[in-house]
Amino acid sequence: MSYVAQKCGVQLQPPSIVLIYEDRSKNNVRKRIMPIRNFSKFSDCSRAAEQLKNNPRHKTYLEGVSLEQLKRLHHLLRCHLQGQTLSQSLKQVEQKEIIDPEEDLNKLNDEELGQRKRIMDELFEKNRKRKDDPDFIYNVEVEFPQDKELEACEWDTETDDEF
Amino acid sequence: MERFLVDGFKPQQLSTFALTLYKYTATVDGKTILVDFWDTAGQERFQSMHASYYHKAHACIMVFDVQRKVTYKNLSNWYKELREFRPQIPCIVVANKIDADVKATQKSFNFPRKLNLPLYFVSAADGTNVVKLFSDAIKLAVAYKRNSEDFMDEVLKELENFELETKEEDSPAEETSQGEPVCLSPGNG
Repeated sequence: MSYVAQKCGVQLQPPSIVLIYEDRSKNNVRKRIMPIRNFSKFSDCSRAAEQLKNNPRHKTYLEGVSLEQLKRLHHLLRCHLQGQTLSQSLKQVEQKEIIDPEEDLNKLNDEELGQRKRIMDELFEKNRKRKDDPDFIYNVEVEFPQDKELEACEWDTETDDEF
Repeated sequence: MERFLVDGFKPQQLSTFALTLYKYTATVDGKTILVDFWDTAGQERFQSMHASYYHKAHACIMVFDVQRKVTYKNLSNWYKELREFRPQIPCIVVANKIDADVKATQKSFNFPRKLNLPLYFVSAADGTNVVKLFSDAIKLAVAYKRNSEDFMDEVLKELENFELETKEEDSPAEETSQGEPVCLSPGNG
């Protein structure tokens, strides 16, 4: 692909996604402003991000931009439309990216669970060894002895007798 | 699950998403074993399915996420439920996602220690101990099934003798089991 995405951001007014990309065929760097139409403070950010990513006019430019990033940028836009300040919006978007270790995902509905799984999948994909990787080994065995003196897991200390 | 199977995994998913089934052929002591892996969903809306999760299982792998305390704390509930349905089957505890927090491998965990359950430190992402875990689980399941069948054979023999004595005509139905269902606690913990 001759378009290589370098940076992708958001412009609040008028609501747009802004892409800085390198055009390899012409050997220059350009800016592309993609207006987000029919987007309100009630819109579904995931769907809007998917629509943009699959938009026939924009999709070749957005190949290097993850759907997750586009969703975050739409979320920022929506927060702005809801009247939040930029720092409030950024904080809210950031919080959506963190998994609360105390949250029981079995108590969530499918959509909420899917959102948490996407966050966890990002780390999974980052650390993932694929079978096509040159250093892939099918059976990776590492011993972690449990018999030696180990630090007790802090999750156990509070209520020790529950098991 | 998919890291273990790598090639040619063709999971079947129930339309409700309560279960994902994987079939696998293993060789244990020179014998070919057909293994059914049941990857079960933990969401509360599937609560009514749990009895079927444990049905005819010959081993259980319970997984928690080293980054999420709640999944570890939930193990005791899953274990209690497992033992209601399957009092004797081998059970393995897995600490998953050690790629995200390698320090977890230097800790001792009370839950498996107190119940004397084997604990495996695993990373599904980079593959650490995945193959070992499933190979060991299959061996345990096969050993359990073999022993429980020996036991069933004895019971059946006793029953036959009993029937001859009492001249009953009905012969006891033999339980037919397909493969070795290995049940897995859900990834969500």
